[in-house]
Order: sequence, then C-alpha cells, then structure tokens
Amino acid sequence: MKHWIGICVLILTILAISFVVAANINVLLPSTNVRTLAEIYLKYTYYPWDKYFTAMSPEACTSIVWDFRGLDTVFETMVFYLAIIGAIALARGVPLKPPKEIKGEPGLSLIVKTVTKIAPVLIIAVAGSIALHGHLTPGGGFQGGATAAVAPVLILVVFSQFYLLKRGVNKNSMLLLRSIGLTGIGITAFAAVLIGLATGHYAFVLQNQPKPLAPNISLPAFVGGQLISGSLWFFNFFEFLAVAAGFTIVFLLITLPEKLAETKEEKRAAEGGEK
Amino acid sequence: MITLSEYFMTILITCMIVNLGLALYGVFFKPNLIKKIIALTILGDTANTFALIIGYRMWVAGVPSRPPVFTEWRSNNPLLLLVFTKTAVDPLPQALVLTAIVIGLAVTLFLVFLTLQAWKIYRSVDMRDIRKLKG
Repeated sequence: MKHWIGICVLILTILAISFVVAANINVLLPSTNVRTLAEIYLKYTYYPWDKYFTAMSPEACTSIVWDFRGLDTVFETMVFYLAIIGAIALARGVPLKPPKEIKGEPGLSLIVKTVTKIAPVLIIAVAGSIALHGHLTPGGGFQGGATAAVAPVLILVVFSQFYLLKRGVNKNSMLLLRSIGLTGIGITAFAAVLIGLATGHYAFVLQNQPKPLAPNISLPAFVGGQLISGSLWFFNFFEFLAVAAGFTIVFLLITLPEKLAETKEEKRAAEGGEK
Repeated sequence: MITLSEYFMTILITCMIVNLGLALYGVFFKPNLIKKIIALTILGDTANTFALIIGYRMWVAGVPSRPPVFTEWRSNNPLLLLVFTKTAVDPLPQALVLTAIVIGLAVTLFLVFLTLQAWKIYRSVDMRDIRKLKG
C-alpha cells in the first residue's frame, strides 16, 4: 500500500513540475527546425541529380550508418564484437554437447511448444525483411540481426538447449556464420578499391556512389530496376548475419545447464574438495 | 498559455530526468549485481531517449513531423524533396542510437556473463557477500 502512495505522489509531482515549467519557459522543448547538418543529410540521402554527394537510399538513417559515417559503423561493429568475444572467452572450455540420454521430456507444455513451432519461422521472416529492406524502409542489419536472434532464444526457453544443438545450431556453426558476415563487411568496404585496382582508376575505401576524386568507380544503385543503393544492401545483409550469429552464440552459452558448464579443471577441483 | 503538445513534451523530459536519477541510484546503491545491470540498461535507454529528443522536430500547426524516410523517391520531384527536408526529424541521433542499442545489448550480455562467473565462483551475486570473501 505504501508503494502506491509513493508512486502516486511521484507522478503528481512530475505532472505539476511539468506544468510549471511548460507554462513559464519552453527552453526544454525541441525547436521546429532541425540543425543544418540534418538538413544536408535529409537532402542528399536520395538525390539522383548530383551523384557525387548522395547515398541513393531513401532511408536517411541507413545512409548515415553505412555511407556518410560508414567508418564509424565499422568501428561500432568492432566494439560489438569485442563484447561478444569477451563473453565467449569467459566461457572457454565449456563443452557445448547434448548429453547422450535425456531423462523425461524437456521443455514446456504442449501448447507452448506448438505455438513455438510456428513463431520462429515468422520471426526470422520478419527479421530478414527488416534487414533486406533496410535501405528503403526503417530497419537495417543491426535491427534485423537483433530480431532474428530472438528466434533461437524462444526455442532455447521452450524446447531446451539440446533441441537446438542436435539440429546443428551450435557454437562452431554460428562462429562460421559470424565469420562469413564479418568477411562480407570487409569485402564490401574494399569493393570499390578492388574494382578500381582491376580497372586502373582511383577509388576509396567504403565508397558507394562516385566521388569527385574517383568519378569513374561506383557500386550500382539499381540492379534490374530495383533500388539496392550500391553497397548499403550488402552491408545490411552481412551485418544481419554477423549480429544474429553473434547473439545466438552468447545466448547458447548463457543458457547452458550449470552441471554441463563445468570445465574439466572445475570438475577435478569439485571432486578433490569432496574427497 | 501552453498547448497540450508542449505540456506532454515537458512531461516526457521531466520523466526522463527522474528516470536518470533513479537509474544512477540503482547503479550506485543497489548491492545486487543483477539489479545493477537492470539499472544500467535503464540508464542507457534514458540516454538514448534524450538523444532522440535532441533531434526531434516539434509539430508545425498540428501537422506531425515525418520520419526520416523519403517515401516519394520514385517521383523524382525536387519539390517533394524540399518539403521532406523541411518536415522530417533529424536522422543523425537515430542512426547513433540504433547502433548504441545493439552495442548496449552486447555489453549487457557480457556483464551478465561476468555475473554468472561471479555466481559460479562465489555462489552469490550480492556485492556485500562478495566483499566479505576477499578475492
């Protein structure tokens, strides 16, 4: 009961302070204009009349993430993977193998299992749509990957981890998928340079559309009449693979049953302690 | 005289400031490591919301500001692009927040792993117990 009184007092205080502040000063409110930098980004995100400055993607966020500030995002991917690698390194030596015999039937009830058989398919379809349409509609590789990683978590919780491990979703296959994703990001970043080397023209790393110093090299904005915005589609796709696989590894390691999670040294120490 | 939209926006900002204080309190004074992680995620989300508010554009004459997606790109009409530039919100904070959310999730998972290790070694996630054990 006391909790409720406290929460009500807090809400009323916030409402009152907001009223006083809003009535007297409006310094806290955002203005009706955005900054000049934002207007430049919004103007040149899809600007086919001057190819030197545009990213050829109607989605301003994706064009900032992978074109205007592409190098930032490469480093952000690095920070993301340092965190994932740190988690994997803490769990080194942990055997990720299903036991030979499973007593009883693991997992939740039949209703939950039946629903979960349908839901991950939908989740992965939506995640793929978020990632592959990232240059047209709100979304992109990061969001799609994080959405796709929800499907293995659902299966882990409902069916138990052994269900995933028996079907090949283990640490090594996910590490392979992650490596494919990261290599793809690297190749896409150097794609313009490689094309430039082959054809004998200047080109930049992380280049998408032609630039004033490299006017001859560009990645195609349209393929077969479909807008793919040059390198953005490839970056989104490979980032999707990398993020989804990275999260799946960590979720697999984090939900390992505690008895199985003991490494050989810990088992020996535990046995020695009992004697 | 204040309008309703101004009042709601001020409520949002005040709530964010209160949230910031609660999250800092949780990070510093809660002894349970899991509760510290929860407070840290609240802190991160509050910071992200502040970044979004910085890039927000207030409604002009009741017309909502648009998301930064140029939906009429097929028309190839520079006038529509000009209207889009004058009504859309700032995309830069959104782009920064989107990567911050995913990296925040990865860092949270790393912290959960550290807490799991602490549980395996000390059999406790309470800072007061871990401090007594000295190492």
